[in-house]
Amino acid sequence: MTTIDRDTRIPDPIELDRAEEERLRAAAGLGPVRTERGEYAGFDQVGIPDRPPQTEREREVYSLDEGEMLVNMGPQHPSTHGVMRLVVKVRGEIIVDIDPVLGYLHRGIEKLCENATYTTVLTYVDPMDYLSTMHNEHAPAIAFEKLYGIEPPRRAEYIRALVVELNRIFSHGLMMGFLALDMGGLTPILYAFINRDEIVDMLSAISGQRMLFNFFRVGGVNFDTNDEFLSRLGTWRSRVMKNIEMNEHMITDNEIFRARTIGMGTLTGQEAISLGVTGPNLRASGVPFDVRRAHPYSIYRELEFDVITQESGDSYARYLQRIAEIKQSIHLIDQIIDRMPHGPVQAQVPGIIRPKPGRAYAAVESPRGLYSVYSISDGGPNPYRFRMRDPSFISLQAVPKVMPGKLVADTMAVMASFDPVMGGVDK
Amino acid sequence: MDWELLLGIGRFVLATTLLLLLTVPTAFVIIQMELKVIAGMNLRIGPNRIGPSGLFQSTIHGFKVLAKEDTVPDQADRSTFTLAPWMVYMAAAMSMLVMPFAPGAIAADFNIGIVYFFAVLGLSVVGLLVAGWASYNKYSLLGGLRSAAQMVSYEIPLTLSIVGAVVLAGTLSFSELIAWQREHGWLLIWQPIGLGIFYVASLAEINRTPFDMVEADSELVAGPFTEYSGMRFGFFFFAEYVALFIMSGILASLFFGGYLAPWPFPAQLDGFVGTLWGILWFFLKTYIFVFVAVWLRATLPRVRVDQLMGVAWKLLLPLALVNLFVTAIAVVAFDL
Repeated sequence: MTTIDRDTRIPDPIELDRAEEERLRAAAGLGPVRTERGEYAGFDQVGIPDRPPQTEREREVYSLDEGEMLVNMGPQHPSTHGVMRLVVKVRGEIIVDIDPVLGYLHRGIEKLCENATYTTVLTYVDPMDYLSTMHNEHAPAIAFEKLYGIEPPRRAEYIRALVVELNRIFSHGLMMGFLALDMGGLTPILYAFINRDEIVDMLSAISGQRMLFNFFRVGGVNFDTNDEFLSRLGTWRSRVMKNIEMNEHMITDNEIFRARTIGMGTLTGQEAISLGVTGPNLRASGVPFDVRRAHPYSIYRELEFDVITQESGDSYARYLQRIAEIKQSIHLIDQIIDRMPHGPVQAQVPGIIRPKPGRAYAAVESPRGLYSVYSISDGGPNPYRFRMRDPSFISLQAVPKVMPGKLVADTMAVMASFDPVMGGVDK
Repeated sequence: MDWELLLGIGRFVLATTLLLLLTVPTAFVIIQMELKVIAGMNLRIGPNRIGPSGLFQSTIHGFKVLAKEDTVPDQADRSTFTLAPWMVYMAAAMSMLVMPFAPGAIAADFNIGIVYFFAVLGLSVVGLLVAGWASYNKYSLLGGLRSAAQMVSYEIPLTLSIVGAVVLAGTLSFSELIAWQREHGWLLIWQPIGLGIFYVASLAEINRTPFDMVEADSELVAGPFTEYSGMRFGFFFFAEYVALFIMSGILASLFFGGYLAPWPFPAQLDGFVGTLWGILWFFLKTYIFVFVAVWLRATLPRVRVDQLMGVAWKLLLPLALVNLFVTAIAVVAFDL
């Protein structure tokens, strides 16, 4: 044990880190990365990992040819949609390669869920993809109901479908705004937020919270509809088409917007399938796959809707796809309200659920694609294994695929057109 | 002692001081306008805390910038890093020297005022390039290179779009050009194509939306200004808004009659009253164009850097040349 007297100099923790860093670098056979004064030695070294490349891909990205340089975008960058880091290899302004570096927002949600009881898991999944909270809760709710072997009441299913479609609308609306924002358009994002606020107020009236709704329960939903929710829904419904058209007028026919999105970031249907891209991004490439139609869950079997697709698979198609889906969701909401039955909204479920040992898989169509949950029960009160497939993680892989040869200016715009949410990517 | 010369020097010093002082409130007013007008267009309230309905928000911002810590990156080239904001600001402020505010209220009424104006305004690109290089930052470097490419290419159609007007009026002096407009009507009628080219190119020249490539915040953080802080950043910021004011003022002077009232007056106003009357109209017209620029910023996304260059070289330049050619032929043929 060391004693500290008055004359002992307590080393600065930063200094300790530096010494450790130098030691590790020397062990790996690398030169010092810092100058004698303690600053990073070089412009061109920033962004390169302080270790030898571990995979072929890493070697490829981080070796520079003549005239190339690495530009580090993020994790602190005005438009990386959360804390994401892209290492972009450029030659002048032309992109040679992109390496997304993930994990800055990793919160270990899967592990947290494995340590929580089945009822409390639904609170942990909320902040994953924070723009589609309702969908995040929907998939585990279905999976746990399968595990436990109960069915939610009919009215609960209808309310679920209703809030989920409302969530889809504001999520898609925000995507339109962010896409414009990443191209320098200031206004559409604020219009999108006004639209979002109306929906979020409505959902907070029914669930009690504005962002992380925590509305779903195993075997039903938390609350029945109330007067405030219904009156807000009615007001919103009466003017939503006008609002969307207003936003559309600002973006859809704008020459500059079209010039920057048409033919940009084109993903063919085959590529999208082989990458595993789902949701609007896949449908924008012309593949008619929608979980609501392909593997119907909840009440989607009873509702009328078409699987909308676009042809070209570029940023503009992805944008148009979102608008079409907003309109489709409004159509679905009309049907749901029309047919909503009376009855209870919560099945009888014990406080601590202990399903029989087994496994269950449930997939829902989230605004970003196929969001699914795979849960294994060992008979205990918490899931033995809880795995989530987040669609933005998969769509993000398409960005390095479509970007080489394009300009730095389009990196963020194309990324925004895939609409990833970092909370979901990093879990 | 030559009293004439002394008087001239005194007048010049007074005028330049006044112009330099004018840049500060101008920047404040335009920033305030940008805050409030864009807020209105975004359906927001905008600043509303400092002063009546947030009137002093931009002033406070200006003083805040003074109080902020001024950092210089460790690896930056200190001398040029320090010099760059000064160069950009002075380029903007110096071009105000030939700005015709009113009859008799021009700091220096050169007979080559138009040439001087474009020559001096073009200097700011040097400052931006230097800022981008000296910062030792990749975003700054890319932003600086973009600004060089953009401003140099747009200077050509910008200048060519004026030559038609110059040929028509037969003068390079701003006051004579305005005098010509008093007799023949605004150049807007004579040079509509020139006006269009000038407007687009001037937006690009001063890096306004939709051509704000230089500080494309979603791509390059803040372009060449990324590493700047405190009052150095403030100078860039000021210069940008002063440049917007200057371009709007020049647009008003060249194509919309400058300080002339939009309708002919029975009595020619002279002397001090005439100057005030001219200043009123000049500022009114100028701020209309400032408003249009702010409006564009709220409405349009940014064009991409390669598309921008395409517009300059493939569209504006040929159009400007055709315009000049047609004007020259017309001048010769109809003996205008």
